Amino acid sequence: MANIILSLHEASRTVNSGSNKVTILDDINLQVEEGEFISLMGPSGSGKSTLLNCIGMLDAFTDGEYAFLGQSVHRMKEKDRSKLYKEYIGFVFQAYHLIDELKVYENIETPLLYKGVKASERKAMVADMLDRFGVVGKKDLFPQQLSGGQQQLVGIMRALIGSPKLILADEPTGNLNSKQSTEIMELFAELNKEGATIIQATHSENNAAYGSRIVNLLDGKIVSQ
Amino acid sequence: MFKNYIKIAWRNIMKNKVFSFINVIGLTIGLSASFVIGLMVYYDYTFDNFHKDGDRMYRIVTDFTGPEGKFYNSGVTLALKGAIEDNSNFEAISEFYRERPMTVENRADDLKYKLPKFVIFADQDYFNVFDYTFIAGNASNALSNPNEVILTKERAQKYFPDKQISDILGKTVIYNDSIQTKVTGIVENFEGRTDIVFQEFISHPTLLQTRLRRNILGKNWNNTNSSSQVFVKLTPNADIASINARFKELATEHMDEEDIKYGQERIFKLQPLDDIHFNENYGIYDWSSGQASKSLLKNLILIAIFLLLLGCINFINLNTAQATQRAKEIGIRKTLGSSRKQLIGQFMGETFLLVAISTLLSLVLTSWLITVFSDFVPAGLSFDLFKAPLMIIGAIILLVLVSFLSGFYPAMVLSKFNTVAVLKNKLAVGENKVKLRKVLTIFQFTIAQVFIIATLLVGKQINFLLNKDMGFKSGAVVTAFRPIGENGLEKMQLLAQQLKSIPEISTVSLGNYTPASQSTNTTTMTRTVDGKEIYGDMQLLHGDTNYLNLFEIDLLAGRDRLNDTINELIINDAARKFYGFSSPEEAIGQTIVFEDEALSIVGVMEDFHQRSLKSEIKPMSLQGDIFRDNWTYFTQAHVALKSDSPESLKNAMAKVENAYQDIFPGEEVRLSFLDETIEKFYIREKKVSKLLNWATGLSILISCLGLLGLVIYTTNRRVKEIGVRKVLGASLIQINNLLCKEFISLVAIAFIIAAPIAWYGVYNWLQDFAYQTSISFWVFLVSGIAMIAFALIVISFKTLRAASVNPVESLRSE
Repeated sequence: MANIILSLHEASRTVNSGSNKVTILDDINLQVEEGEFISLMGPSGSGKSTLLNCIGMLDAFTDGEYAFLGQSVHRMKEKDRSKLYKEYIGFVFQAYHLIDELKVYENIETPLLYKGVKASERKAMVADMLDRFGVVGKKDLFPQQLSGGQQQLVGIMRALIGSPKLILADEPTGNLNSKQSTEIMELFAELNKEGATIIQATHSENNAAYGSRIVNLLDGKIVSQ
Repeated sequence: MFKNYIKIAWRNIMKNKVFSFINVIGLTIGLSASFVIGLMVYYDYTFDNFHKDGDRMYRIVTDFTGPEGKFYNSGVTLALKGAIEDNSNFEAISEFYRERPMTVENRADDLKYKLPKFVIFADQDYFNVFDYTFIAGNASNALSNPNEVILTKERAQKYFPDKQISDILGKTVIYNDSIQTKVTGIVENFEGRTDIVFQEFISHPTLLQTRLRRNILGKNWNNTNSSSQVFVKLTPNADIASINARFKELATEHMDEEDIKYGQERIFKLQPLDDIHFNENYGIYDWSSGQASKSLLKNLILIAIFLLLLGCINFINLNTAQATQRAKEIGIRKTLGSSRKQLIGQFMGETFLLVAISTLLSLVLTSWLITVFSDFVPAGLSFDLFKAPLMIIGAIILLVLVSFLSGFYPAMVLSKFNTVAVLKNKLAVGENKVKLRKVLTIFQFTIAQVFIIATLLVGKQINFLLNKDMGFKSGAVVTAFRPIGENGLEKMQLLAQQLKSIPEISTVSLGNYTPASQSTNTTTMTRTVDGKEIYGDMQLLHGDTNYLNLFEIDLLAGRDRLNDTINELIINDAARKFYGFSSPEEAIGQTIVFEDEALSIVGVMEDFHQRSLKSEIKPMSLQGDIFRDNWTYFTQAHVALKSDSPESLKNAMAKVENAYQDIFPGEEVRLSFLDETIEKFYIREKKVSKLLNWATGLSILISCLGLLGLVIYTTNRRVKEIGVRKVLGASLIQINNLLCKEFISLVAIAFIIAAPIAWYGVYNWLQDFAYQTSISFWVFLVSGIAMIAFALIVISFKTLRAASVNPVESLRSE
């Protein structure tokens, strides 16, 4: 049996909106094993993104338990948590979220800076990555000079550069046309084959089909998995 | 990591060129001002800091207190040294006498120089107090015998141009044609900045061969001359309290009858060496270099701080306003693993980069500003001073401080953003930050507004001072001074004769000073009324019988003196009141006593201003050339010109110069216009005014630039709103009003805060003047309107453009 990467036990998230308490995630129970490719599905507002953010430790559950690689995230200090996700998690966003002021090369390099990787190593790693995706010629361009698909590709490269155990992708093809979407999804499938664990949030049945498991959310609850 | 920060900082700077430009301008101005002023402070505070045991060196000075106030004299009585010589608190006591010789001569080489500067008659202890390096001769036994002189290297080379230093030793230098001195030593000039500027040291006993022989031998306790100076070096464990006690004893012991009678007291004081440069009460030896003023430096530092603050505020405002644009980057960086600390570091790095750019610009500017502000900057100050380690360290500290001040708050704000909210584009800009920006903007405009009001009011006062009727004719009056070193009256009379024959000249009068001058010629006169003695200072004027006529001073009663030399007295109306005459007529024929001699009053003249309008009109008397048998008061020839049209003025002046050169061939022509003399009373006020002009201009510039930045930012954010409003039918002006309102109200609030502050400041400043212009309401009104107009122009520059954009364009992007 494969290793469990993360497990959620009765995890919830509520926020105060004015005087009302709004429950965004409600008693989520989920286990993710290494090598899985999970698609979170559900209508807008069902809590897909929030769940992804909470798993990615950008947000926190307000209740319940969250264990990542056997460590209780909900009891961790901010600093340790940051260390954990820096080390093991990579993000891919719908809107790519590249830093406009940085070149392709520098965007990919940034996570390594925060990890404290040495300059020579960084150079080699980024060069490898560019090579692998065949975009060496674009390394000195700024994000605006690329097409959406290419930008998302850079976003994925940036997520991969730190060799994360878990890749979180929030509607990674939401801003792309169908041809670009297919390319990106194929890339994810390939990465998954190579051993990466992936959780994606998506609206598209087509995209969900690339995954190994589908988790359906509705109004903050898991309705099927 | 660091390289990455710098890179992204640079790209951000280039991306927001306008904002960066505004930031750099503001900081550059603030830093340049700080550098120039820092240099000045450093320059002035490093005078005489190189002397060995400088902290134990003091000058002894004399203060006089009495019912009439306090007077300061940098000298002491000639008797003092002898009285304190046995005091064990002193390691060395040196007395010297400042006396400017008429001539100095090297007869062997036939070289003669007039009026050498910085010559003193020093005793042998001089070189025990001050540590000079002897390059010829030596300090022991120096100046112990009469007719010896020690020269600085500079002077030695001047007087003996082609001789080796060692060959100059033993040569003869002759002062005033008759005093022969032998060069017994040559010393290096001090290398550091110093107020001890002396160049020629004649042995003290030589004084007995001069006109001062009687004074030197007499050692009168009750005669204090500022030329008679005493410096001491205390022993390391000296007891200053006991020295002061001894001084007090000596002063009490030697009080004379008058002191006791009029309640006057003399206080000997130790003036620390480093106080000499700043203390205007006692002055410095080199008048031409101008005395440093701590209050001026203080004001300058304040201005620098204000300008820096304004620059920092622009930075804070623009960066927090821009925060939303940076928010995305911050969010991404956070998801990529950046800690808050790292983000703060990054933003601080950006700030530092901008500050560093500003610094480089400032350094260039500073070297230029030193010349622009030559009125303030001491002549000896050069940009090279920046090489001093203290300056460099100071500049670095300033950089860090400014970076921190301007960068820290924005960095805190920016790094605090919630990642998820940012990435979802749901960032709400806190109401607090908007409020803070408003407060800071108000602060900026308050400073600018205070400067504007102060500038206008100070200008108004100066205008008032210069245009106020002094009470005598001051236009088209020229004074010709007798050449220095010239004695006697005959040539002056001859000059007067010649001047009279010039057709452009209406009247000529011989005398000493003009009615208003820097003269401090004063004596005390007394009058006894009903057994009570009225005793007080009388300003002295001397002039011939044309004097009153020339200066158009009217007599209130009595007549002018009968001739130029008769010992009759004319007093002004202030003196008439002071000495208790109830009307001008009553004073005629009465007497006032001067040194046991009763002088009869023949006339009372109207009051006129004798000095700047800072001081009241004081009792004054006009006399003739009453000591002509021995010497003459008439050293100046005053000339009233018929017309002050430039053409005739030029003609007349050329003729006056010719006459002068005719009578005093080879002498420098010394002429001055009376109105220029009066203007010189207000040099300091004019400096203040110039300083304020600059401060005002710069603070308006920085503040308006900051405002422009904020306006650009807000209008850019409201482009869509503007578009929608236009579609709904709003006019250009309506939209402009909408956009301006918010900012103009800030400027208006600033005005409300600034007005009382400015009023208070100017009110205090005006207290220096006996005659003041009114602090008019219209000045406030004008400056308030001016500020709002400035702001409106700046704002409209952007808002009008934004408002005129075709709504189709602004709405399409969505």
